[in-house]
Amino acid sequence: MQGDVVIRTEGLTKIFEEGKKHEVTALNNVSLDIRRGEVFGLLGPNGAGKTTLIRILVGLLSPTKGKASVLDLDVVEDIDEIRNRVALLPQEAGIYERLTARENLVYYGGMYGIPVDVLNERADNLLDIVGLREKEDYQVKGFSGGMKRKVLVARALIIEPEIIFMDEPTTGVDTIGARIVRNLLKKLSAERDQTIILTTHDLNEVSELCHRVGILYEGDLVAIGKPSELEEKYKAANLEEVFTGLVTGEGVYSE
Amino acid sequence: MKSKKKSPNNGKKTMWLLKKEVKSVLRSRWLLFGFMISPLFAWLFQGVFLNFLFATAIEPEHVYITNEDGIDNSTSTWGDYLYNSIQAQFEYEKGIDDEYKWLNYRNLTTVSSNEGMALWDNRTAAVWILIPANFTEIFENRTGFQNVTTLTIYVNLGSFRASAAYERTKSFTQYLMRATDLWIQQVSPPAAEASYGHQLAIFLVMITSVMAPSPYISKSFAGEREQHTLEALLVVPLSRLRILGAKLVAGLLLTMIYSVFTVVGILLYNLLVLVRGSGSVGGQIGFYSVEPTTIPLIFFCQFLILLCAIGIGVVISTTAKDQATAESINNLVLLVPTMVIGILGFAGSISQVSGLFGLFVFLIPFSHAIMFLNGVLSPAPDVFLLTINVIYMLAFTIVFLVIGAKAFEREAIIA
Repeated sequence: MQGDVVIRTEGLTKIFEEGKKHEVTALNNVSLDIRRGEVFGLLGPNGAGKTTLIRILVGLLSPTKGKASVLDLDVVEDIDEIRNRVALLPQEAGIYERLTARENLVYYGGMYGIPVDVLNERADNLLDIVGLREKEDYQVKGFSGGMKRKVLVARALIIEPEIIFMDEPTTGVDTIGARIVRNLLKKLSAERDQTIILTTHDLNEVSELCHRVGILYEGDLVAIGKPSELEEKYKAANLEEVFTGLVTGEGVYSE
Repeated sequence: MKSKKKSPNNGKKTMWLLKKEVKSVLRSRWLLFGFMISPLFAWLFQGVFLNFLFATAIEPEHVYITNEDGIDNSTSTWGDYLYNSIQAQFEYEKGIDDEYKWLNYRNLTTVSSNEGMALWDNRTAAVWILIPANFTEIFENRTGFQNVTTLTIYVNLGSFRASAAYERTKSFTQYLMRATDLWIQQVSPPAAEASYGHQLAIFLVMITSVMAPSPYISKSFAGEREQHTLEALLVVPLSRLRILGAKLVAGLLLTMIYSVFTVVGILLYNLLVLVRGSGSVGGQIGFYSVEPTTIPLIFFCQFLILLCAIGIGVVISTTAKDQATAESINNLVLLVPTMVIGILGFAGSISQVSGLFGLFVFLIPFSHAIMFLNGVLSPAPDVFLLTINVIYMLAFTIVFLVIGAKAFEREAIIA
């Protein structure tokens, strides 16, 4: 199912306010590989560096040290090419509330130079998939949090990206909405072999969706592997125990 | 972050973004409503306010009169005739209803030439009629219809009552002497460089224009950052300069709506002045209204002001944390200097302000808008100075846009 390496970081480090009083090391020497078709989960408490890592990979931030490549393209040198081939679903809503659901999709796709007729065709299909076809001409401002997330997922997919970065896609969404988003991601992974990198706090979500996970803590990548491998490695009953133990130091931890 | 490989169809993508920006704002009904109603309200309010002042023009004015004609001899002169006729008319009007009064003076005081000048200088006299010493001499030495004599009337045009009293005096004296025989020399106090109507145009256009782009610009940068839509926008394969450019052009197009409604407002204002002013200060209508042929210039001037305001707004908005902060700082930074120079414009020429305050006034780009419009409306415009004004405003805008572009940097916005 999983193929060649599509994301590679080597000693990736990001320091904010470097050399200043409030210097913060958001990422510290992170090295990882992610393969095509993988659903890769980035776990970690708030401030662990998950969002920073995603932002570097989509060119919103530049690394302080180290290297990162996406689709064999350097995140510093070839960022425009990378942007043409990946999509980001940001942590916060990030949706144009005065545009309709369809307009949000078509508008976003238009900025990738995709012809309008192709965009409309894709929008029809995606709105069907996310179950918003009947609401396609409503301004998004009246939508619930879950519906907005669905629009955002559809928006990310309209450009048919090779990789989708999802920053906490179910945060702030009610249980039913989160379930819909999760099912959608499962479907994408199963049917399209879509590479998805998602950050989350929800360990069930990770267990359910992700082929592999990376646990970040205070900028360090403290663990990486399949959920079952990590449970075995750290002799934990489940991923939650692995995570809690790595982050808080509680529990059993032997390599 | 530098980008070495350029995305194809960048122009098409930028146009797409521009279209979305415009569409998104066109759906902000309150913003649009504000764009339309604010210039209309400003101009209509002024029109109605002037109407109220015009209404006061029918109130009687205290008029001073000096007759210097034939002061050194005992023979009757044309000046005496005029003077006595005005006196007689004033006395006659004391016993009749207001609606039948021609001169409608509240009081008529005879003063010497020196006294009259002193009253005029200290602004006590709003209307002073001066019959000069050579009044009869010129009148009687006329050849054919070419030589006419001159009556001097000092009038404070800032007072509607005085303006109306001047108009009534003019019609009465020209009736007595025949309009073709009597030339009225009007003397007004030195004040603003342009007429009341044009000063108003400059002031209103400036004060409303500097504020016009603020809601859109604040929403477009600080607002989008607050709503987290900027993050999604910054990952699309478009350079930040193209994103910035699309937003700027959208802002300019939208503020053009504002300009169009400013023109509508000016025309409505003129109509109000014409309808209500013609009865009382008819001869001064041109002073209070905005000359329609100057509207394209006002439009151009407004464009320059909008450019400057957008430039300043972009810098503020890209550095402010949220939309409310951006709008507050914008209001403070733009409104205060604009009010200062706007009011200075009414009091006199802003180019005459000197010292440190003068330098401050000169550095404000909107001062150059005033100087530009004043210059263009003056009888002998100095093309060099006008060019300097325009160049200064354009340079100011470019500098601020460059600063704004530097501030509109992906990492700075996102981090």
